[in-house]
Amino acid sequence: MRTNMIKFIVKRLLIAIPTLLVIIAFGFIMMRVAPGGPFTSERALPPEIERNIQEAYNLNKPIWEQFYIYIKNLSVGDFGPSFKYKDFTVNELILSGLPVSVTLGLSSIIISLFIGCFLGIVAAIKRNTYFDYSVMSISLIGICIPSFVMAPLLSLFFGLYLGLLPTSGWNGGNVLNLILPITALSLPQIAVISRMMRASTIEVLNSNFIRTARSKGLSPSYIVRKHVIRASILPIIEYLAPASAGLMTGSIIVEQIFGLPGIGRYFVVGALQRDYTLVSGVMILYASLLIALILVTDILRALLDPRVKL
Amino acid sequence: MQLTQKNINNSNLLLKVNNLSVFFNTPEGNIQVVKDANFSLNKGECLGVVGESGSGKTQTFFSITGLLSSNGYCKGSAIFKGFDLITSSEEEKRRYLGKSIGFIFQDPMTSLTPHMKIGKQLSEIAIFHEKLSSKLAMERSLEVLDIVKMPKSRDLINSYPHELSGGMKQRIMIAISLMCRPELIIADEPTTALDVTTQSEILSIFNDLKSNMNIGIILISHNIGVIAETSDNVAVMKNGLIVENGSTFNVLTNPKDEYTKHLLSCIPPWLEK
Ligand SMILES: Nc1ncnc2c1ncn2[C@@H]1O[C@H](COP(=O)(O)OP(=O)(O)OP(=O)(O)O)[C@@H](O)[C@H]1O
Ligand SMILES: [Mg+2]
Repeated sequence: MRTNMIKFIVKRLLIAIPTLLVIIAFGFIMMRVAPGGPFTSERALPPEIERNIQEAYNLNKPIWEQFYIYIKNLSVGDFGPSFKYKDFTVNELILSGLPVSVTLGLSSIIISLFIGCFLGIVAAIKRNTYFDYSVMSISLIGICIPSFVMAPLLSLFFGLYLGLLPTSGWNGGNVLNLILPITALSLPQIAVISRMMRASTIEVLNSNFIRTARSKGLSPSYIVRKHVIRASILPIIEYLAPASAGLMTGSIIVEQIFGLPGIGRYFVVGALQRDYTLVSGVMILYASLLIALILVTDILRALLDPRVKL
Repeated sequence: MQLTQKNINNSNLLLKVNNLSVFFNTPEGNIQVVKDANFSLNKGECLGVVGESGSGKTQTFFSITGLLSSNGYCKGSAIFKGFDLITSSEEEKRRYLGKSIGFIFQDPMTSLTPHMKIGKQLSEIAIFHEKLSSKLAMERSLEVLDIVKMPKSRDLINSYPHELSGGMKQRIMIAISLMCRPELIIADEPTTALDVTTQSEILSIFNDLKSNMNIGIILISHNIGVIAETSDNVAVMKNGLIVENGSTFNVLTNPKDEYTKHLLSCIPPWLEK
């Protein structure tokens, strides 16, 4: 089992390298095809200065050579200098934004999983009761309202009208500052997860092996804990990677709205200002995170379901 | 008639079912799949239930044990040792289920929890009902695996259902029903999908349980040959009705109902003794 697991992980990491290369190349080309460059501005620069800048950032070299240089630096973990934040490297910028984004993303995913699964299970057990109906209709609303609508509504209501919570800023990671952004990010995920969990739990509750468990006279709570959950949570595990992707894109907007100095904000600023290296760096980070998550998903699935072999 | 007379104040009486009806709410309306069933079972005896597919055999016994799907409900009474299983609460019923009443399900392939080791699926019953320690419960599991003649039971308790063959799963199902030394076993087609050798082995296990452990057995089957081999009494079901009910010998040699005659005529001649 253990050696299998290590082999599996190594194999997947090796497959991840070409995947990442394709993503990097794609991003690289997309950025350069988009009109404008990092140093084009309203006021034309004197030609010598422009040439000097181009030279300093290798922009005068052919595009394939730029790509080669970029990959070569990446292979030693160097994401290059930021084109816009002149005194910083992309590594420094990402490292400064990482704590904010990781705190936001991890708490959102954990909160969404726990609340979503719990609501889904209870709704399935109490199906066709008022509890079930209210969870399902509220979650339908949650699915329909995206984070970028939810976020301003939340800050308007809890921040401005009620004055209960701060509407923006990181404030050193103060819990009060995190509540609104995490809520805005989690609500759509909670909605999706609770519906998925409800559906899969109902399916498991109707399965033959639960009938066997009931024929043993075991208590309902024991049956749910030991026989139902492990089977009904499998679709949620599959959903982990798409959910995280949703959270990442959500966080780009939510960080912007709540003025949080996370990676998502650098991504937006970088894209608007053609900061090639910064955007590529953030993109590579997101892609690697997703690839790692898919790997974790596969491992979790094998741990939960004995029929799945790595 | 004589049979029911004898049962009334019989201390051997294990299960008495009166006017049992089963209904389902379906999108097409309310349907009745069991109609006023009456039958009884003594300790150490076997009641065979035959009938074609869809005649209501399984639902009759799901209703008694409270295992009907959520759109189903039932009326009537099912007195098990003086206790009405139909009107009792879920909680009261759980004291009997898995302890004094064992259920063997029709489809062994899907009736075991896929993510739980066989040993746990057996031992949890004794842990729950008899408060045994995990260690003692595991020993009990090995004992019942012995009764159902499973070889290499020590490896078996650490395997998962998908690693077993259909016949092995069927025996595990029987072992599950035996964990707490039941007084009544309801076996729903325990031998379908098995080869003839395995089938006769399993039937001989039932015969042992009946005579050695004094367990009452209800054996559901659409194979009248299987019934003839094991049952003391037979109930014949058709379209939710019990059309004939009596001692196996009487029913098989002198069938009164047209449907029973038809069933008997379906037995290949080389099976008749
Ligand atoms: N949940 C349900 N909702 C509606 N009808 C049902 C439901 N479950 C069973 N039935 C119906 O009840 C009838 C009796 O089914 P039952 O399972 O008792 O048949 P059976 O005699 O055991 O057949 P088989 O030999 O194929 O196992 C069938 O017509 C079936 O369609
Ligand atoms: Mg059946």
